Amino acid sequence: MSQSFPGDSFDVDVSNQPLIAPLTPMLALREEYENGSQFFVKQIDWLINQGWIGFRRTRGDGDCFYRSLAFAYIENILNSSDTMLAATGALSVLEASQPQLESVGFQRLVFEDFYDCLASLINQVINPGPNGQLLNINALLEAFNNPEISNSIVMYLRLLTSAEIKTNPEIAAFLIHPETGEQMDPEGFCNNFVEAVGKEADHVQMNALATALKVNVNVAYLDGHDQEGKVSFVPFQNAPFTFLEPVNLLYRPGHYDILDRRDADPIPPLLV
Amino acid sequence: MDARLRRVNKEIADCKNDKSSRVTIDLVDDNPFHLIGAFDGPEDTPYEGGRFQVDIVIPDNYPFQPVKMKFITKVYHPNVSSASGAICLDILKDAWSPVLTLKSTLISLQSLLCSPEPRDPQDAEVAKHYMTSKSSFEETARYWTMIYAGGPGKDGAGKPGKDGARDEIAMAGLDRAHVDQFESLGFERSKVVRGPLFIQRGDVGSLRGGQIDVLRRMNYRGANVANINDDRVVEELLK
Repeated sequence: MSQSFPGDSFDVDVSNQPLIAPLTPMLALREEYENGSQFFVKQIDWLINQGWIGFRRTRGDGDCFYRSLAFAYIENILNSSDTMLAATGALSVLEASQPQLESVGFQRLVFEDFYDCLASLINQVINPGPNGQLLNINALLEAFNNPEISNSIVMYLRLLTSAEIKTNPEIAAFLIHPETGEQMDPEGFCNNFVEAVGKEADHVQMNALATALKVNVNVAYLDGHDQEGKVSFVPFQNAPFTFLEPVNLLYRPGHYDILDRRDADPIPPLLV
Repeated sequence: MDARLRRVNKEIADCKNDKSSRVTIDLVDDNPFHLIGAFDGPEDTPYEGGRFQVDIVIPDNYPFQPVKMKFITKVYHPNVSSASGAICLDILKDAWSPVLTLKSTLISLQSLLCSPEPRDPQDAEVAKHYMTSKSSFEETARYWTMIYAGGPGKDGAGKPGKDGARDEIAMAGLDRAHVDQFESLGFERSKVVRGPLFIQRGDVGSLRGGQIDVLRRMNYRGANVANINDDRVVEELLK
């Protein structure tokens, strides 16, 4: 077909970045800003002093919040002190989300493949996968860099976010068009700013997803705004009874990465 | 089976099971990634009674990339190219979501026929026609539905003759009197300017076709006629 569609150029600018990268020392980010804004450098130093010595880059394709959160969420299950409890807890939340998606009008045929991608990865924390192995960090990175798996998981989180927004009346007042500032109805807001591929998440989406997934999220805002170089952490604490550690994300204007207290990935144990 | 094929197969099956929407999806040459969709023209619109076919191409990254659709059946609509069938609709571009299916997208095209968006046109000439005179636009759209989509036409009458002859003036959405007016005028002037050429050709029909083309391009319709100087039309006709 000679017709050209905008979808053809999807991700062209960023497609050489990994969807999710291995852990990188925070000093590498510091180097990027050394010749630029000193406010950012100060904030990065502050983070390092607080023990946040590493981060994990996520591709800047508009899905970065969802992809970062999904990866950090599964990695937290993987690193949990009781993986059985963490994984079964997460799986039961996901299992219960399917009827909720149907109740807001999503056809099972559009979400079941996305669900399977996410659930089978979490299940692999406690039960060996098709290759006979349990999930480790390398396999998790590999899965998240496979576009089909990675985008399926992102999409499932978008649908969870949408279903939460559509069913939670407390959110309705916050559904504002990001450009015009006009109030929107949940359906229109979700169609345009949640369910569409590559649409950035804002506060409303983040809050809704944290609630739906029953996970606590802290977002460190690296924005160069604080004169003293402190970084504010905005908490999305909607899961009082979770077995999981909170997910920590690093925000820079227009982008989310994963924040970490380690500066490199552990080497997975060798199989004996 | 790869995820794209699995998804498309499910969508095709889902569409087959649903008889109420009268949306169909068929394979072209047994290729599950090149399909033809079809739906009925919506009621109470100029497209009522027509059946509209859409060419569907499933991209490699489906459902994460939008499906590619264009009308096979010619449609007279501001958001559809009257020449190529290309469609201007946000969900086929940056508002695409993997929750949309072939069926739901075809139903969105059906809705697009109900609610044209002339301010975001695919076919600027058709959009101008729509904005100048909605009733004249609808008459033309109804005529196209009859000619190309098997619609009933105005009051069920006016079917084209057995030889398939079409009324080119109705196709272009013009007023017969306007075309006649310039036919005589244009012919006279043409005779003066390049008479020998016309005598050689002796083809009044092609001149008439040219006039229709010019008047259509100039949107010589309704209230807009008052804005267009006769000399400008003649100038265009002589180009």
